[in-house]
Amino acid sequence: MSSHWLLYMGFVAALIFIGLYCLLTMRNLIKLLIGVEIIAKGLSLALISTGFVRKNILIAQSLTITFIVIEVAVVATALAIIINIYRHTKSLDIRKLTKLKG
Amino acid sequence: MILHILLLIAVVLFSLLAILLRDLLKSAISLAVASIFLSIIFFMMNAPYIAVFEISVVAGLITVLFISTVALVKKEEEVKESKLVNYLFPVFFVLFIIIDIFVMKSLIGRLCVIKGPSPLGNFSQVFWKERTFDLIGQIGIIFAGVFAVIALFRKVNSDKDKDNHE
Repeated sequence: MSSHWLLYMGFVAALIFIGLYCLLTMRNLIKLLIGVEIIAKGLSLALISTGFVRKNILIAQSLTITFIVIEVAVVATALAIIINIYRHTKSLDIRKLTKLKG
Repeated sequence: MILHILLLIAVVLFSLLAILLRDLLKSAISLAVASIFLSIIFFMMNAPYIAVFEISVVAGLITVLFISTVALVKKEEEVKESKLVNYLFPVFFVLFIIIDIFVMKSLIGRLCVIKGPSPLGNFSQVFWKERTFDLIGQIGIIFAGVFAVIALFRKVNSDKDKDNHE
């Protein structure tokens, strides 16, 4: 059973690495949010696959429902912030945000 | 098991496509496709409620939010990404996976993730009776998100606010 868990954790690590790479290298604000989404996918896969391997799927499901609700709230708020940033700076580039103005 | 592995590879490939594609609309759609594959995996793992949530909320609602945002921000100029990091990706990817496998192998006897007796009954009993505090937290989070969006799209049109800004 533990070898299956290791396999799932390998895929979880792949998803989390793709998300982290996107967060570290991309400059588009919407792309950064897509990176956060990919990390969230990896984490929900980790929760469900651990519950599946340990034969405890019910608690894993209820934890993951909470996680998905948090994810949706985060995405809605972040997209609203991105639209406001675009209205201020007329660009989606994250490097334009380094200038501080009063 | 082989079907699981193929579906997981599809999830990873579509996530990779989502960050490598230049067009934001295409990357949002490939993110949705990745979460559809993930929901098939969840359904095969005996977790049908999460599969429904994943396919309706993550593949549906979040994609709609992304596409509406892309439509609202009409870009004049493309944001330039740096080219150098694309070549470094495979090296760091393989390195990260190897390190992860070693760390997990050394941790595998010591972790106590979701250990303990599995609860009796079906999903709704566990969700509504044992995790009631989670529900209260979820309601709070939904209200926080709604109020945050309302606060961010507030219009500044009264005279008082104009005076304050000046």
